[in-house]
Amino acid sequence: MSVGQAVPMIDAVERVTGRIRFSQDASLPGMLHAAAMRSVVPHGRIVRIDTAAALEVPGVVAVVTGEDLRRLPGLRPVYGPQIEDQPVIALDRVRYVGDIVALVAAETPRAAQEAAALVAVEYEELPAVFDPLEALEPGAPLLHELEPERPHEGTALYFGIRPQFGTNCCNLFRMRRGDVARGFAEADLVLEETFRTPAIQHVAMEPHAALALWEDGRLTVWSGTQTPFNTRQILAGIFGLPVEHVRVIVPPMGGSYGCKVFPRVEPQAALLAYLTGRPVKLVLRRDEEFVTLTRHATVVTIRLGLTRDGRITAKEVRAYWNTGAYADCGPDVARKGGFGIVGPYRIPHVAVDSRCVYTNLPPAGAFRGYAVTQAAWASESMMDIAADALGLDPLEFRLRNLLRDSETFATGETLHDVHFAECLERAAAAIGWEGPPRRELGDGRVRAKGLAVVMKGMTTPSRSEAKVGIDRSGRVTVYSSTVELGQGARTVLAQLAAEALGVPYQEVRVVDPDTARTPFDNRTTSSRSTYMMGNAVRQAALALRERLLRIAAERLEVEPADLELADGNVRVAGAPASALGFGVLVEVSGQEELVELGESRNQGGLDPDTGQGIASSHWHQGAGAVEVEVDTRTGKVTILHAHASVYAGKVINRHTAELQNLGNIVFGVGSALFEELVYDQGQPVNPNLSDYLVPSFLDLPERMTHDLLERPGAEVHGLGETALPVIPAAVGNAVARAIGARVTELPLTPERVLRAIRARGGERG
Amino acid sequence: MEQSITIELNGERRAITVRTDATLLEVLRDGCGLLSVRETCGIGICGACTVLVDGVPVSSCLLLAPLADGCRITTVEGLSRGDELHPVQRAFIEQMAFQCSYCTPGMVLSAVALLAEHPEPSPEEIAEYLAGNLCRCGSYPRILAAVSDAARSLRQGGA
Repeated sequence: MSVGQAVPMIDAVERVTGRIRFSQDASLPGMLHAAAMRSVVPHGRIVRIDTAAALEVPGVVAVVTGEDLRRLPGLRPVYGPQIEDQPVIALDRVRYVGDIVALVAAETPRAAQEAAALVAVEYEELPAVFDPLEALEPGAPLLHELEPERPHEGTALYFGIRPQFGTNCCNLFRMRRGDVARGFAEADLVLEETFRTPAIQHVAMEPHAALALWEDGRLTVWSGTQTPFNTRQILAGIFGLPVEHVRVIVPPMGGSYGCKVFPRVEPQAALLAYLTGRPVKLVLRRDEEFVTLTRHATVVTIRLGLTRDGRITAKEVRAYWNTGAYADCGPDVARKGGFGIVGPYRIPHVAVDSRCVYTNLPPAGAFRGYAVTQAAWASESMMDIAADALGLDPLEFRLRNLLRDSETFATGETLHDVHFAECLERAAAAIGWEGPPRRELGDGRVRAKGLAVVMKGMTTPSRSEAKVGIDRSGRVTVYSSTVELGQGARTVLAQLAAEALGVPYQEVRVVDPDTARTPFDNRTTSSRSTYMMGNAVRQAALALRERLLRIAAERLEVEPADLELADGNVRVAGAPASALGFGVLVEVSGQEELVELGESRNQGGLDPDTGQGIASSHWHQGAGAVEVEVDTRTGKVTILHAHASVYAGKVINRHTAELQNLGNIVFGVGSALFEELVYDQGQPVNPNLSDYLVPSFLDLPERMTHDLLERPGAEVHGLGETALPVIPAAVGNAVARAIGARVTELPLTPERVLRAIRARGGERG
Repeated sequence: MEQSITIELNGERRAITVRTDATLLEVLRDGCGLLSVRETCGIGICGACTVLVDGVPVSSCLLLAPLADGCRITTVEGLSRGDELHPVQRAFIEQMAFQCSYCTPGMVLSAVALLAEHPEPSPEEIAEYLAGNLCRCGSYPRILAAVSDAARSLRQGGA
């Protein structure tokens, strides 16, 4: 069977021949194309909008502004997955450079773009704020007037959030365990440092794209989204429809990495289709991608109490997540980062205040690694600072404090199937940690090694359902709402169904997610799908197997236990002549298709005021180790070897599992060394792929290696993100060892490294 | 303004009327329905829209369609013969050298051009040649292996 093997994706031929169709390829007869006019000021009141010139462009069918939106009866003009704060089109105020001010629908993409550029907008500029700490100061301009009755119950909210009314803080997540004052009193040494990360962008190669169609008061949207059911619910909320009247169909995506989590372009395409009565497609330009969603920039201050023998007595954290102009899922990012910053360590006294803060910058939301990259940058840098202060080897210091099986995390939950130490030791061994920690090459180049270890949760609580069916031709079909974004979900789910039913995985059909056809799934996020949806598919397939056996047993007048499945047949064990094809059994049943349902749930949740409870029903565990070379004359960092060790538990498809590790390392390299969105007074400075760099072939570490740790009988552990957050932190630790100074802000550009070297020289000089 | 151009597209002679300011990318995608030609950056950096123009890899987002008049254009749709995949495509599957595969057509075409120029490239030469093709999923190590495999296979007669 294919499970556990390195087998190609089921759609590999479609992919190498370019025949695979993404959401940007969707089209319908009579379809219009949409474009957006966006704010050029970071904060302002809209005084006047003149659409006359735009309407004169040949081919333009509609130009829509917030004023039009306000006049539409029964329409709720704002949306958001956790706080309903984002207008479909700016209503009277713009909050960042890139906020949508007008939408155009036209016969061609060119006409739409030309018209959008001709929309004339007059603004009264308002004071703006870009830094999360400044945004929390008294008198800072307020982005939103959060009221106690918000967030609205009954939206997509799935956990308690704590907006701080009258401020720009849209969520304060607190974790309290033990008594940090006591923990610091017991410490021999207390260290404090502040760490920063910049906003970065996902740069999915396929931009956001959605096609909307209204028929008889019902809405259908084809969209590349990781969240079909959330998107359905939010669209239903905007248009005042029952959810059954909204259908979301998800073609494969040309990458996402979190940028297609929650609606981005669907409300706008749906609005234009609603107003024009024609199908409308909206595909973003690359510069629009850069202002549509980013990874949270962060400021994190950690205070750590330590004993001389290398135990951590207390950890106090103040974290600020710059969520930009709209909350999106920022409140949840601040929460997950809030417990993620604690790290996989035994710490008796913990206090975390994690704040999600509005500023006049593009919205930030889900990003591969989901808060853990920023959290690990701070907490794993701090671990090395502590090891240095104690005169301990960073590996040894971590091993003394890492959580072991059956120990309790700061949330109060007991951890099982724990492999942090093992991951870390393997990663360290892979790069030859035992060798000299630092080596000068004599010409200004220095080599050194660094480590990092992380824990990452999986969405808890959550639910996945799947159906598996067999039709009269004997064909097996998986109905699942897990989306395909390049991770190979279709393939892995086909493998799991195939294994249970004894058919070749290539012959299993996996239909695209379709809220009218495929059953409920929370969403394709947090590396949950192979585990959660995989279990649901497996259960459905096993139920189907039982049903086939029962039908065959009756027909063959034997006991089901005497039967076996092979090559799409059920037969009496050892008697091939008795074989009945699956299709025949379906006919015998009188049905067109036999379908069984499987379901997988995980339980838990955290108290938002104490951070106590179950953060994750199981944990993604990984470690990274790198060797770098720093040219101390130029500050340039070269990664000689990067290794990631990730706990997989059980691998379903070795190819796609390995590709997750490799892809995460590459992603981590960009984040470590050069990815950074730059703003000047809220104006994006580098919203294009000429000025914003993503890793190319020439940026790869000279050696890239990785491990997938498996254990007999272990459950599947997701791999989609774990190897990413360890890379920037490990590189930072290696660079600090190389230059004898700490760079506390990502990315590790030559300028920052050189400044750190010079500052150290000044100290010594 | 419009203009008539004649191109040899995937082995077929085509006379097409194009806007004088249309890019080859727009003409191939919107006019000819060749959806393997994909835009990402729009400024000739990422290689997702790569096509072969007289055998040379070109970012079709930067080439004005009238300038392609009289040229031989190959997209990945024109690479396989019927169901038979090109050795580079086969190697991409054998090595599983993609994830989302949005960049794959451009990557495959650049590799085909490389192997026509250098039948026996070193890994460094492959990386250098393909540096203009970005893969955000980070399948790079697998792509390098696939191109090396394809080179070997082509040298052995494309078997």
